[in-house]
Amino acid sequence: MLEHAYLIPIIPFVTSLVILLGGKEGKDSKMPYLGIAAMGWCFLQSSVLFFRALSGRMPLEAGKEFFLHQRFPWLEWGENLRINVGVLVDGPAVTLLFVVTLVSLLVQIYSLGYMHDDKRKKRYYAYLSFFTASMLGLVIASSIFILFACWELVGVSSYLLIGFWFEKPGPAYASKKAFITTKLADCGFYVGLLILFCYAGTFDLVSLKSYIAQGLLPVEVAKAVGIGFLIGAIGKSAQIPLFIWLPDAMEGPTPVSALIHAATMVVAGIYLVARTYFIFTAAPTTMGAVAWVGLFTAFFAATMAITAYDIKKVLAYSTVSQLGYMMLGLGVYGYTAALFHLTTHAFFKALLFLGAGSVIHAVHTNDMREMGGLYKRMPTTAATVGIATLTIAGLPLLSGWWSKEAILHDVYAVSPGMWVVAVFTAGLTAFYMSRMYVLTFLGAPRNEEKHSHAHESPLTMKIPLWTLAVLSLFAGGILHYNGLFEHLVHFKLPEGSHGSHHAPAYLLPGAAIFVFAVGVGLAYKLYSGSLETAQQLRGKLSIAAETLEQRYYFDDFFLGLVKLSDKLATACYWIDSRIIDAIFIDGWALVLRALAAVNDFIDSFIVDGAVDGVGTITQDAGWGLRKLVRGQVQEYLLYVSLAVAVFATFMLSR
Amino acid sequence: MGLLTTVTFLPLIGAIIILFIPKEKVAVIRGSAIFTTFATFVVSLFLYAGFDPSLVGDGVPVMQFTERYEWIATFNVFYAMGIDGLSLPIIILTTLICFLASIYSVSIKERVKEFFFWYLLLEVGMVGVFCATDLFLFYLFWELTLVPMYFLIGVWGGPRKEYAAIKFFLFTLVGSVFMLLAIIAVYFAPNSGTFDMLKLMEINSSWSRNFQIVAFIGFYLGLSVKIPAFPFHTWLPLAHVEAPTPVSVILASVLLKMGCYGLLRICYSILPAGFEWFLPYFIIIAFINIVYGALCAMAQTDMKKMIAYSSINHMGYCLLGMAAVSSTGFNGAVLQMINHGIITGALFLLVGVLYDRAHTRDISAFGGLGAKVPVYAALMVLTCFASLGLPGLAGFVSEFMCFLGAFPVWKMWTILSVAGILITAAFFLRMIQKVFLGPLNEKWADLPDINTRELLAIGPLAVLTVLFGVWPKLILDITNPTVTALAEMHSTIFKYLH
Repeated sequence: MLEHAYLIPIIPFVTSLVILLGGKEGKDSKMPYLGIAAMGWCFLQSSVLFFRALSGRMPLEAGKEFFLHQRFPWLEWGENLRINVGVLVDGPAVTLLFVVTLVSLLVQIYSLGYMHDDKRKKRYYAYLSFFTASMLGLVIASSIFILFACWELVGVSSYLLIGFWFEKPGPAYASKKAFITTKLADCGFYVGLLILFCYAGTFDLVSLKSYIAQGLLPVEVAKAVGIGFLIGAIGKSAQIPLFIWLPDAMEGPTPVSALIHAATMVVAGIYLVARTYFIFTAAPTTMGAVAWVGLFTAFFAATMAITAYDIKKVLAYSTVSQLGYMMLGLGVYGYTAALFHLTTHAFFKALLFLGAGSVIHAVHTNDMREMGGLYKRMPTTAATVGIATLTIAGLPLLSGWWSKEAILHDVYAVSPGMWVVAVFTAGLTAFYMSRMYVLTFLGAPRNEEKHSHAHESPLTMKIPLWTLAVLSLFAGGILHYNGLFEHLVHFKLPEGSHGSHHAPAYLLPGAAIFVFAVGVGLAYKLYSGSLETAQQLRGKLSIAAETLEQRYYFDDFFLGLVKLSDKLATACYWIDSRIIDAIFIDGWALVLRALAAVNDFIDSFIVDGAVDGVGTITQDAGWGLRKLVRGQVQEYLLYVSLAVAVFATFMLSR
Repeated sequence: MGLLTTVTFLPLIGAIIILFIPKEKVAVIRGSAIFTTFATFVVSLFLYAGFDPSLVGDGVPVMQFTERYEWIATFNVFYAMGIDGLSLPIIILTTLICFLASIYSVSIKERVKEFFFWYLLLEVGMVGVFCATDLFLFYLFWELTLVPMYFLIGVWGGPRKEYAAIKFFLFTLVGSVFMLLAIIAVYFAPNSGTFDMLKLMEINSSWSRNFQIVAFIGFYLGLSVKIPAFPFHTWLPLAHVEAPTPVSVILASVLLKMGCYGLLRICYSILPAGFEWFLPYFIIIAFINIVYGALCAMAQTDMKKMIAYSSINHMGYCLLGMAAVSSTGFNGAVLQMINHGIITGALFLLVGVLYDRAHTRDISAFGGLGAKVPVYAALMVLTCFASLGLPGLAGFVSEFMCFLGAFPVWKMWTILSVAGILITAAFFLRMIQKVFLGPLNEKWADLPDINTRELLAIGPLAVLTVLFGVWPKLILDITNPTVTALAEMHSTIFKYLH
């Protein structure tokens, strides 16, 4: 099982090609079952690895921190330069393999129902398989270069899937926006790679780690590399200020949002920082940057979620905010906590999206103002989403509680000030999530017509919901029990890096329970009845609400940048066609004109008086020249070249 | 007769045969032309089969399949041919592109006989340039490409074909004049008296730096027009837009490579001190090509012109790699030449497919074609992604190696050049969005999808795009030994860089 870990990304890759190229397109296509079967195998293999690693029955390689490291040269050049391709299986990788294959499998099953009537079902499943293959490749890659390659490939799968319904202008625009925004960030990643290779001469994670452990990488270089990678992570994991693509990405099919834009691809940035953690810890400045980026993102995204009425947008902001928490965790040396939160978040956020998809499937709208009271119509959805909501809001002893507490604990240790903001954000989370739940499922139906048509989803959609609900309830507790997860991730803090602040034992959980209760209570009070109170409140705080609805005007800023670069492009083209091209046409013609004038001068004033025969010849030449000047501009080129040629020959032969 | 002579002059035989076929027999002419280019391609594969990549010496490149006959004894001119790991991949690229573009050339309906005559003659010149190891012979082949290209654009081109053709002709000719002067200068240089490139590579150490600089400038002016390097690039967008599709393909895929090839083979190898002197300017030109070329591409509304400008951007990556003067950079540059040839060749063919049907190339004239012509859309999207450097497709590795090579030497310019990647992504995605996504423009409701002939021409390129993206070693294993030796050849001059 372990030694064939490379199969985990390769199987879905081959599957995606088979689905894409084989069989007939249409809603009766049998290809989806192939995709599910392949993913079923990958999930099986991954879970064997995961559970064996978790229970300590899979030995680490002697004296190493990983279970398996295989590689072979993919590219060799120069005297001794190479880029390897291979797999590196360690604790975090095994965890991610499990999470990705599980969510992908569930989403593919769920999509059988959700995409039931879609006419391009085959293509949809091919894309899903392709995405999963790239993501698994990213997780398991032993070299940062291959990780980067897969990083770009998940980006392209995301592009294809956001724009899956490409006939509509919305998805077409959103897919491009997502790709370009992340590509902007990838430039940082790219530069980081260049710097890294320039100094270390390898992309292999294991070699790099020992290289840095020996202190061979100057701190300044580590800082530059770290910042570059962080920029890449900011784009992919939708951190401030580059989060702008994620809310738009909700234009894609909802199962895709669950898989790519909640549980897996968007955590790639977090995973990158975790995977190259030794670079970040080698340069403490970058750790600070990571923490601040995370804190800002967690807080601001949570505030934006408060005013949104589109159910998927609320979840998108919530994802951004939770990713911020993970980033914050990494920044305060909470490596284990961040990965723990990544895992539990994947379960409850995928559940939230699939639940939202179930709702959208039933009422055909994203607007929560059109919903309300749906629990009667869709009990399974209401129950499972309820579980997920309580989990993310931080009800003690559910999965989310454990991981969030772990992060908050590490934050307090480094900076109680940051902790205050993080806890406040947790309260906001409880508020906006409860708001979403109350608006959707509780209270009275606000749109009778839509409500009366709503129905519970089919079994293929219910199975994934319940599976994830069970995980949202218990996974955190189980992994936390006896330090199972800590043991699996196997992270050793670098010397002297741990924070020095110790909180009183009751403070951290006490504060968390307090903000949870306040958030949930406030949301219930404001939104369970009519929306009037909420609307009045919005009227009083219209400037703040407007700012939030406009996402702090980040979009406008970047749209301005796009406009600016368009202007720059136009200017460049103008220079190219009007100035540079003109120099070689008109400019040379001018030179020729001058030459001809000189020739004319010589012709009439000097040569005329000279010997007849010679005079005539030159005169003819002069006349010829004058004719040329009135002739086609391009012919001047020929003449100038000859003149320069004579001149140059003269220069050279001296 | 040697294999190289065969590859080079096989198209000439085809051209002569075509002269004897009555011009009414269009199908026979097309058939013989396609057969000729195919045969040439097959013969070039024999080169690949018989080539030993590991054969390198210290210093001067070791040529294989060499042929050497005395030609003009008075001036010590030889008919000398030979190839190494630098020229072989480009030769195969040339014969392949000529073959595929000749399939596509069936769409040429007027004066078919003349078209294929010039077409085959052009191939002779192009292959010859990459085989010649004698400067005189090199120059002859170089000039031989000029006249057929002039006619191919000027006769079978678009509305402004005459202007485009004469502009192309004069730009190149002016450059060539300087190159000729430089060749003569090198011939008359101390200890020289030869046109033998390999010998010149050895004796250049006895030349003064100033002489090398002057001679370098001469060569550079000739070569940079072809690359095309800023500011001598303005003929390219026009020539591309006006040229018929197969000619655009050859122009982009092969002709531009003649410039880059010459830079490595002559400017760098024979005149290292001149090259060294020029490097600080060279890197700036590379940067301008990359970023400015990409920005100009972004401003275009004509698809063909956009791709033409993107060629300027992509050749900038080649220049960037060459400016590194290292194994990494040179390998990247050579790989980029091949990959650009494949990708951009496919792009021009694809644009031609659409133009043949719609008679417009205006990006905003379309919309929603993705639902209407799925196969075409898939190929176009694949090729665009290859061109913008998606991993797993050909362009990425070569681009990356160019950057990787250049970074240790030119840190700031390399980082600034990374912007080119972003801009490239932006204009390609915008084109995809406007042409293929969104609601279908009802005007094109009857647009037929790609046909078999077009698929035959484009399909192999698409396959190669994926193949070289996944397994670049296929090319790198041929180029690497030669190119690594090349990078080491003048290490005493360039050692301060590293």
